[in-house]
Amino acid sequence: MAIPARPAPDPAVGAIGTSRTGARRRLGQRGWRDAVAGWLFVTPFLAAYLLFLVTPFLRGIWISLHDWNLLAVAINPDAARFVGARNYTRMLWGDGIVWTLDHQWGMRLAGLVAIALIAWWWHRGVIGRGTALAAIGAGLLLFGLLLGLNPADDGRWGDRRFWPIVGNTLTFVALTVPSVTLLGLALALGLNRDDRTSAVLRTAFFLSQVLSVTVVTLIWQLTFSPRQGMLGHAARSLGLDPIQWITNVELAMPAIVIATVWWSLGFAMILFLAGLQEIPAERYEAARLDGAGLWSIIRFITLPALSRTTTLVIVLQIILHFQVFGQSHLITRGGPNDATQVLVRYIYQTGFRNSELGYASALAVVLFLFMLVFAMLQLRVSRGDD
Amino acid sequence: MAGSRSQRRLLTLVLIVAALVWLLPIVWMVSLALQPNDLLARTTSNVAWGLIPWPFTLDNLTYVLSQGMTPRWFLNSAIVAVSMTLLVLALSSMAGYAFARIPFPGRRLLYPLVLAGLVIPEQAVFIPLYTMFADWGWHNGYAALVAPRLAVPIGVFLMTQFFRGIPDYIEEAATLDGAGRWTVFTRIMLPLSVPAMVTLAILTFLYAWNDYLWPLVSASRPEMFTITLGLASLQSNFADSEGLGRVMASGVLASLPVVLLFLLFQRQVVRGIAMGSGK
Repeated sequence: MAIPARPAPDPAVGAIGTSRTGARRRLGQRGWRDAVAGWLFVTPFLAAYLLFLVTPFLRGIWISLHDWNLLAVAINPDAARFVGARNYTRMLWGDGIVWTLDHQWGMRLAGLVAIALIAWWWHRGVIGRGTALAAIGAGLLLFGLLLGLNPADDGRWGDRRFWPIVGNTLTFVALTVPSVTLLGLALALGLNRDDRTSAVLRTAFFLSQVLSVTVVTLIWQLTFSPRQGMLGHAARSLGLDPIQWITNVELAMPAIVIATVWWSLGFAMILFLAGLQEIPAERYEAARLDGAGLWSIIRFITLPALSRTTTLVIVLQIILHFQVFGQSHLITRGGPNDATQVLVRYIYQTGFRNSELGYASALAVVLFLFMLVFAMLQLRVSRGDD
Repeated sequence: MAGSRSQRRLLTLVLIVAALVWLLPIVWMVSLALQPNDLLARTTSNVAWGLIPWPFTLDNLTYVLSQGMTPRWFLNSAIVAVSMTLLVLALSSMAGYAFARIPFPGRRLLYPLVLAGLVIPEQAVFIPLYTMFADWGWHNGYAALVAPRLAVPIGVFLMTQFFRGIPDYIEEAATLDGAGRWTVFTRIMLPLSVPAMVTLAILTFLYAWNDYLWPLVSASRPEMFTITLGLASLQSNFADSEGLGRVMASGVLASLPVVLLFLLFQRQVVRGIAMGSGK
């Protein structure tokens, strides 16, 4: 029997073919039903999302391009006047702004040292190339260029308060984040055990985290009071004069930092504990067999394994604490003399005390842009790219 | 971890002392709430810097439970927190199910667009939201306090992640039996997702109970304050307030639900915080 060069078409193939078109039709039907079902299921959320997040976000940008007085527009909707980018130039610029080498030289020198440190870490392989370049670029922009800007003798900022308030906010972040990170890490290392005592202690340290900001400020406002506060009582029983925390320009910022560290320590501790749980026990076993001591185990095994968690904790806290409002609003009321005035409180007051919604919206957009940088960083870290 | 037995004992001792110091501010608030108002007007350090409530009284607590604005604020907080939690659960679980399990056209584009909303903080939208709700006459109502949180996509993210982890065969079996999407969702998927929903519920409830900035902007009439906002209004003028003991009693009352929730659901609270931050 000759073998045909080309096999005759198998009748079954045709059959399959027809059944496949049938399947496609059924699939089409199912696809259509999936389309309807899918969109119906997401519609309720999507409506809320568009109405209460996307729309206000875009509207905020729109308002920021106007001279928009809260009270005037409430009475007459046409009272908003389009001013283009003027709110932004008022915020970020001024008259006769010049760049000088020696302006803020102390802080800029410190910043350049930090950049050198980052470059060295990159060289040593502690951090990846992407992170290093991003940090160095941002650092050079900030310390090399931006901090050198200042009004000349006959010039002035469009908004004299804006940059100092940004500085206060960054100071608050710079004091709070390392304190919370180091304390949270120490507690997590000490409490990463399975016994009952550790479980109770973890609960004790975390408890303050679930309180609302107004309970925290209620407690600490009174604690810091020289006459009525616990710190004052303690000082007096030691024969010292109570410290005037809240009314002292130097101490008001540390005071709200202390309250914040007390409030938000549990968060860092929990994330570090979760990170510690992911370290396989065999690594500790191996190190112990090699005769490694407690400190070298922490130094060479635990800390390197926690590097991703640490970055995440730091980035999340920067995002969180950059939005500080309640502590400043209720404990120190931004004072004394604007020493604890922070960005969100400035936005709130510009909008709702001074009724300047346009300028307040521009401030909010700038706040958003700053936080966007760190949100992107968070996304990168939690995806584990770096 | 390593370390000799005596080292470990010492560490435990240090940590216990640190924890007690850490809890002092809370103990102090509770203790002040349990001391008579007229005593506190003279001194806040009657016994042991005021840490021991002596003379002891429940007057402040019974007062804030029955009179003044605190009961109303507590009720408002309960209404806002419970309705926000239920609505967030409903919207997030439905959307999460669709994004995870229904291959509808457009979802590959839509899901990243929804997640992009995670980078928009409350502080960036509270002014335009204020003007919108003012135009609609929503302020000083419950809807205004609840609505903004419904749009935050964190719940959708958590539920989508959860539903993606459920094996396909469970749903396929039900579909072969002829069940529609809604039946599969309510009868099979929702019961399976109870652990994830509990976590999301606790996160949302804590947020709702503790939120300060938005209620401050939206609710201007004291009858519509939440307890968190009311407490802020009490402490902004200690001098003309109803007395330190009563303010502290309000603080204790404001903390009670969240502290109880935390103590009862520690595991879920901790997991929720870890998940919500991308661990």
